[in-house]
Amino acid sequence: MMQPLLSVRNLTLTYPNGYQALKGISFDVMPGEFLVIIGLSGSGKSTLLRCLNRLLEPTSGSVTFSNHDITHIQGEALREHRARIGMIFQHFNLIPRHSVLKNVLYGALGTTPTMNAMLSRFSDDATQRAHKALQVVGIPEKADIRADSLSGGQQQRVAIARALMQEPQLLLADEPVASLDPSTSNSVMSYLERINKEMNTTVICNLHFLSLVRQYATRVIALKGGEMVFEGTPQEITDEWFRTIYGDDAVEVEIR
Amino acid sequence: MKRLLAIVIDLLLGAAVGALLASVIVPALLDAGETSDVTTGLYASALGAAVFALAGIFAKASIGGVSLGIDAPEGRSIRIVSHLGWLTLAVFIVGGWIITAISPIEFFSGDGLAGAGRIFQALVTPEFDIIGEALSAMVVTIFTAFMATVIAVPISFVLSFPAARNVMSDTPLTKSIYVVLRIVLNIMRSMEPIIWAIVFSVWVGIGPFAGMLALVVHTVASLTKQYSEQIEDVNSGPIEAISATGASRIQVLWFAIVPQCVIPFLSFTIYRWDINVRMATIIGFVGGGGIGTLLTQYQGLAKYNEVGTLVILITAVVWILDVMSARVREALR
Ligand SMILES: Nc1ncnc2c1ncn2[C@@H]1O[C@H](COP(=O)(O)OP(=O)(O)OP(=O)(O)O)[C@@H](O)[C@H]1O
Ligand SMILES: [Mg+2]
Repeated sequence: MMQPLLSVRNLTLTYPNGYQALKGISFDVMPGEFLVIIGLSGSGKSTLLRCLNRLLEPTSGSVTFSNHDITHIQGEALREHRARIGMIFQHFNLIPRHSVLKNVLYGALGTTPTMNAMLSRFSDDATQRAHKALQVVGIPEKADIRADSLSGGQQQRVAIARALMQEPQLLLADEPVASLDPSTSNSVMSYLERINKEMNTTVICNLHFLSLVRQYATRVIALKGGEMVFEGTPQEITDEWFRTIYGDDAVEVEIR
Repeated sequence: MKRLLAIVIDLLLGAAVGALLASVIVPALLDAGETSDVTTGLYASALGAAVFALAGIFAKASIGGVSLGIDAPEGRSIRIVSHLGWLTLAVFIVGGWIITAISPIEFFSGDGLAGAGRIFQALVTPEFDIIGEALSAMVVTIFTAFMATVIAVPISFVLSFPAARNVMSDTPLTKSIYVVLRIVLNIMRSMEPIIWAIVFSVWVGIGPFAGMLALVVHTVASLTKQYSEQIEDVNSGPIEAISATGASRIQVLWFAIVPQCVIPFLSFTIYRWDINVRMATIIGFVGGGGIGTLLTQYQGLAKYNEVGTLVILITAVVWILDVMSARVREALR
C-alpha cells in the first residue's frame, strides 16, 4: 500500500482576532494527485494551503508530510520543509524591478547560504537550473527582462519557474488563474498539468471555476465555512452538491 | 482612552481660557499693569477647567469629544459646544494679541521705519568683499549636512526594520522591542536639532563637528520613521512568496521588502539632505559652524551689508538645492 505524501488530521486554525477559519479538516493526498480545493470566498481555502507549507501555524490537529509531523516545526526544520514545497499565488508575487532570471533564482533561496544570496552569488548549477525552468514554462528569452514588464500570464509562468527551482515534491497553487483571462488561464493550468504528469509533482490547487476543476482535477475537496463538506472525483459534483457547496442561488459559469 | 484624552483637552482649554481672562485680558482692560496676582489666575483657571469639563460631562457638550470625533452632540448641546468654542477662540486671539505685545504704533513709528529702512538698504547693497569667506563657510554648511546624511542613512536603514510593525509582529519580545524603539525615536525626533547642537557644542566644542552630530541624531530619528513607515506599507505578497521558498528571515527582508523600498528610501534621503542644509544653517547660529556662525558674527557687529551677502548666498543655495532635489525625486517616481 502506498504511503500518502500528505496527511491532514483534525486541522483547526483560529486567527489572532479570534476568527476560526478552519474547523477540523482531515484528508490525505497521494503522490501524483492533482487535488483541487473549491469553496466560496472566505471558506478557508487559502488558509488551508498556508497551513500545509506552514506560512501559518495551525492551532490544533496535525499535518504530516512524507512521514514527518510538520505541524509545529520551527527554525531550520521549517525552512527545509518550506523549501520542499513550491507555491504560486493569484497575484504572482514576483519581485518588481528585478529581472525574470533573478526572480526564478529566488526559488533557490531556501538552499542558498544567506550571505551568498545577498551578494547575488548563486551557484552555476542554480543559474543553469533557472534557465531550464524558464524553458519548461516556455519563456527562456525573457530571462533578462524586468519581471514587472511581463503580462499577467507570463508573470504567472515566471512564478511557476520559481517554484520549479525548488524541485518541489508538492506544488501549492492559490487561485493561480483568478486574475487571468480565460485563454491565458487554460495555458497556465496546462503548465501545472504537465508538471503534475511529466515530473510527477503532486499538485494542490484552489480554484473557482468548476469547468477548470472538471478538466484538471483528479480529486476534489470542498470547504464551506471552514469545514470540509465534499470529497470525491470531479464527476461526483452533481447539481445537488453544487448547491450545497455554493448555496442555492449559485449558477455555474463556464470558462474555456 | 479617547474619552480620557477628550476630558484632558476640555480641562486644558477651560484652564487656559480662565487663566487668560483673569490674568491677561481683565488686567489689560483695567490697565492694571503688572498687578495681576498668581492666586486669582489659579482660581480662574480651575473655574474654567471645571466649567468646560462639566459642560462635557453633563450637557454632553465636550469640545475634546467633538474634535476627536467621538461625540456628535445635537440640539441644546451643539449650541453649548459652539458657544464654548467661539468663546475659546475669541479669548485666545485677544489674549494672544496682548501677550505678544502687538503694537501697530511701534510698527509704523517714524524711528522704527527709518531703522528698518537702513537694514533693508544694507541688505540690498551687499558687501561682496567677503564672498570668499562666505563661500567657504557655505561649503562647510553643505558638507556638514551631507556628512550628517551619509552617516545617518546606514544607521536609519538598519533601525527601520525593527521599527516596522509588520516585521516585528510575530512574538511578544519582538513587539516590545518595536514599541520601545518607536518611543525612543519619537523622543529623539521631538527634540529640535538646535537643542542637540547646543548639547554637542558643549560636548565636542563649537564648530561643524557639533553641528554634524546634532543633525545625525535628528536625521536618524526622522529617516528611521519614514523608512519604517514605508516598510509597513509594502505589499505582503512578495513576503509570502519569498518565505514560501524556505528563505531565512534576513533573506525575506532583503529580497521581498528592500526591493519594494529602495526608490522611496532614496527619495526620502535626498529630501532629508535638502532639509539638513537648511537646518545646518540654523544650527550654525548656536555654534554649529559654517555659514550660520558667520552670519551671527556679522549680525553681532551690525555689519548689515555683509549680512546681506550671506542672506543672498543662503537663499540661492537653498533654492537651487530645493529645485534639484525636487527634480531628482520626481525622476525617481
Ligand atoms: N489574517 C487574518 N486575520 C483574521 N481573519 C482572517 C485572516 N485571513 C483570513 N481571515 C478570514 O478567514 C476566512 C477564510 O479566509 P481565506 O482567505 O482562507 O478564504 P478563501 O477561501 O481563500 O477565500 P477567497 O476565495 O476569497 O480567497 C475569511 O473569513 C477571512 O476573512
Ligand atoms: Mg483565498
